[in-house]
Amino acid sequence: MTAFLDNILGGLALGAVYALVALGFVVIFKASGVLNFAHGSLLLFGGYLTAVLHDDLGFAGALALAVLTTAALAGALDRFLLQRGGQDAHSAHVQTIVTIGIDIVLLTDLARRIGGDLLSLGDPWGDSVTRLGPLTVADSRLAAIVVSAVVIGAVFALFRYTSWGLSLRAAAEDLEAAALMGVRLGRVRAGAWCLAGALAALAAVFLAAFPAPGLERTTGQIALNAFPAAILGGLASPAGALAGSLIIGLTEALVVGYQSDLHILGEGFGDVAPYAVMLLVLLVRPTGLFGAKGAARV
Amino acid sequence: MSDRLLAALTRRRAALLLFAVVLCLPPFYLDAFWLRIGLFSMAAAIGAVGLALLSGTAGQLSLGHAFFLAVGAYGYAWLAGEPGPGLPPALAALLAVLLAGAAGGLFSPVAARVKGIYLGIATLALVFLGHHVLLTADSVTGGFNGRSVPPLTLGGFAFTESDPELTVLGVPFGAEERLWFLGLALFAFTWFTARGLQRGRPGRALAALRDSETAASVMGVDVARHRSAAFVVSSMYAGLAGVLLALAFRRVVPDYFSLALSVDYLAMIVIGGLGSVAGATAGAVFVTALPLLMTRYADQLPLVTAPGSAEGAVGPTEAARYLYGAAIVLVLLYAPDGLHGLARRVRDRARRRRPRTPAPETAVPTPPQPSARPKEHTP
Amino acid sequence: MTDRTTAPPVLDVRDVTVRFAGLTALDGVSFTVTPGSVHALIGPNGAGKSTCFNVLSGLCRPASGTVTLGGAELTRLAPHRVAALGVARTFQNIVTTHGTVADNLMLGRHALTRAGFTATALRLPGARREQSQHLERAREIAELTGLGAHFDSPVGLLSYGDRKRVELARALCLEPRVLLLDEPVAGMNAAERARTAETVGELRAELGLSIVLVEHDMGLVMRLADDVTVLDFGRAIAHGTPDEVRQDPEVLRAYLGTDATGEDAA
Repeated sequence: MTAFLDNILGGLALGAVYALVALGFVVIFKASGVLNFAHGSLLLFGGYLTAVLHDDLGFAGALALAVLTTAALAGALDRFLLQRGGQDAHSAHVQTIVTIGIDIVLLTDLARRIGGDLLSLGDPWGDSVTRLGPLTVADSRLAAIVVSAVVIGAVFALFRYTSWGLSLRAAAEDLEAAALMGVRLGRVRAGAWCLAGALAALAAVFLAAFPAPGLERTTGQIALNAFPAAILGGLASPAGALAGSLIIGLTEALVVGYQSDLHILGEGFGDVAPYAVMLLVLLVRPTGLFGAKGAARV
Repeated sequence: MSDRLLAALTRRRAALLLFAVVLCLPPFYLDAFWLRIGLFSMAAAIGAVGLALLSGTAGQLSLGHAFFLAVGAYGYAWLAGEPGPGLPPALAALLAVLLAGAAGGLFSPVAARVKGIYLGIATLALVFLGHHVLLTADSVTGGFNGRSVPPLTLGGFAFTESDPELTVLGVPFGAEERLWFLGLALFAFTWFTARGLQRGRPGRALAALRDSETAASVMGVDVARHRSAAFVVSSMYAGLAGVLLALAFRRVVPDYFSLALSVDYLAMIVIGGLGSVAGATAGAVFVTALPLLMTRYADQLPLVTAPGSAEGAVGPTEAARYLYGAAIVLVLLYAPDGLHGLARRVRDRARRRRPRTPAPETAVPTPPQPSARPKEHTP
Repeated sequence: MTDRTTAPPVLDVRDVTVRFAGLTALDGVSFTVTPGSVHALIGPNGAGKSTCFNVLSGLCRPASGTVTLGGAELTRLAPHRVAALGVARTFQNIVTTHGTVADNLMLGRHALTRAGFTATALRLPGARREQSQHLERAREIAELTGLGAHFDSPVGLLSYGDRKRVELARALCLEPRVLLLDEPVAGMNAAERARTAETVGELRAELGLSIVLVEHDMGLVMRLADDVTVLDFGRAIAHGTPDEVRQDPEVLRAYLGTDATGEDAA
């Protein structure tokens, strides 16, 4: 039983971190129609900054600066590179491929700098644990859940109660109408990218924290697991991204936890379980669990 | 047929013939290193053409190409080797291509229902799941270390150094030399069939699908069937490319068939120009040859250090990747038609400068126009 | 494939109702298109004309009601099957594919040709023969619609009027029995309108097509149409000849908001 609860908690923590990534991903998609393939390298960028700055600025300072810088980078990439391509549906397709190119450049640079090292982000939880009844829980996992919950709550409040959030939702609904109503599409879009960058930098902290050995050059790839999470929820729904992330996180943790029992699926199936789940969902619901069906229109 | 048109056609045929002859020369002059680059480029071109038909024509974004390449490569290795049925290699190669097509067919219900961006991510799943299977089903795939690839034999003639020993025009023909001609033949076949498809009924239907599914269906195109068919066709080309790659590498390993490979193919068709067979070929050569060339000539490039030097330095692999990523970004933002579009614009501009221009090129071959023609309006 | 030697079929729309998420776009709409006639579908914006066309071409499934062509029921068929039965349609926003006029017209021949992937890829003689035969026919249709000179030109370079004509020609390439024209003269100047009107008249005369026309240009409707159905808020409020419909008080109220006595409608 303890093992099961342990896995559940691990799954929730993982899901919480995926949620940070997936939410950013969905926000970008809502605002610009672009699938950001550079999300992993943005995450790695934020993590890397935290890692190299925490000695001088302390963890909080380093994290704050990393979050702001990553946000700025993401916003700049959108504003000065992607937005040159235009705002319609076809160009979103093209811009998606542009993000692949950006990812290659960013990742090559970061991988070169990190090399084969394992970087510590200097987080305050280290490897300490807390006892919760029969369970022993890593503090970093608890922190992941709590921080994610707070941040995601704040983001949802942002959507609901600010004019930016309203502009974002309007633009996602009907681009032309929003523009005619005075929404500054370029700014709203860049803002969405900034937010996504900030969330990614934050997620890096938890992905590199205990029980992971540290930040390495492949950490960004984990962000790819957030793709299925976002798709599961239906790409345009932040709430869906949340649900999808939790499902994915739990699935992964449970598969890894019960690996020995599931050995027919092969060792390491936990890494690809998110994609299997996603395929199954897409077969039944081609636009994700909460995605809207597109109307046939010319 | 007007004289001018006849002259233009003859000129074109002569140019093609010359080009074909030039392509046959490398095995006589270049060493194995260059021939292998050529082989990889040919295989990449075959795969890229398949992806071009899918993405550029039918408009479906696919990141799963690496999976179908793996099916072709591993399919051949298994079918022709041991452990495995140990079939005659030529038969194994053919079956591997069909197997890749069948895999595409199996995936096509997903391709028919799931659209656009969702399809792109769904195909990602193919790559990851496929990679996982390659790693774990080690009795068949050889696991992490992969397995070796049996050489191809066609009716007693083996594509290796010996069996039989062959010297052509004073040049000993080893594996690479022989595979070169096989590669050329397979590529020529690919080019022939792909262009045929594009200019014919299926190509028009697929292009219509890309522009507007609604309009296409109203014109009589069975959308679901064509989306599936596009997937199957593209998978078959990928399978063929996989077989050639397996033969060129002589070994298949799981890590090669990764997301990065799928991205490579996407880059090839983007840089070459979406939807263009010629563009896909050019893009394939660019993407394949660039890193290999840069590694070879690392010491002559500024800012680039030799491979294996201090960590953190910009080696040729890194430099190639920077260039590669930058090329994708720049081409898409500033030349969305890719190399093919650029070439077309240059040619159009050159044509406009000439005082009298020949008949404009069309995608549909038009019959030669006789000067007098009875016009009938019978419905 | 449709048998084109028999008498043209009757297009019968019966009691068609379409609902979108609580909104009733079409409410029990019925009308009949006499073979070989021009039947206009008019009404204020939002009346349901486009929805009606979508039902006729198979893009929209009605909640109830039937559409039959001759003996065949069209109602729940996929669009490509509807096309195969001989119903062709043009769109308000021109949707042409990239390429030349010839490419677009040949797309219109899709339903009448059979060359599959394998035959085309291998360039088998059967497929090539089919292609050149149908290309000839496409060329004839281009001449018929005044596009002969542009047959090999890229569509992107043509004027708006010419592109509209490509839409029309492409629909004709289907060798349809019924032609659905969605606002064929929208955005055209007077000369182009006259020319299109002439073409439509010729089509009806020479090819014996039934033509259903959605149009806002009343002058065109009065000149060309044999019958008119007026839609308002998804309901068919009047049927008849153009003259009858023009004087119908219901129609006046729908368009002008006043009834015959001059009082404002609610």
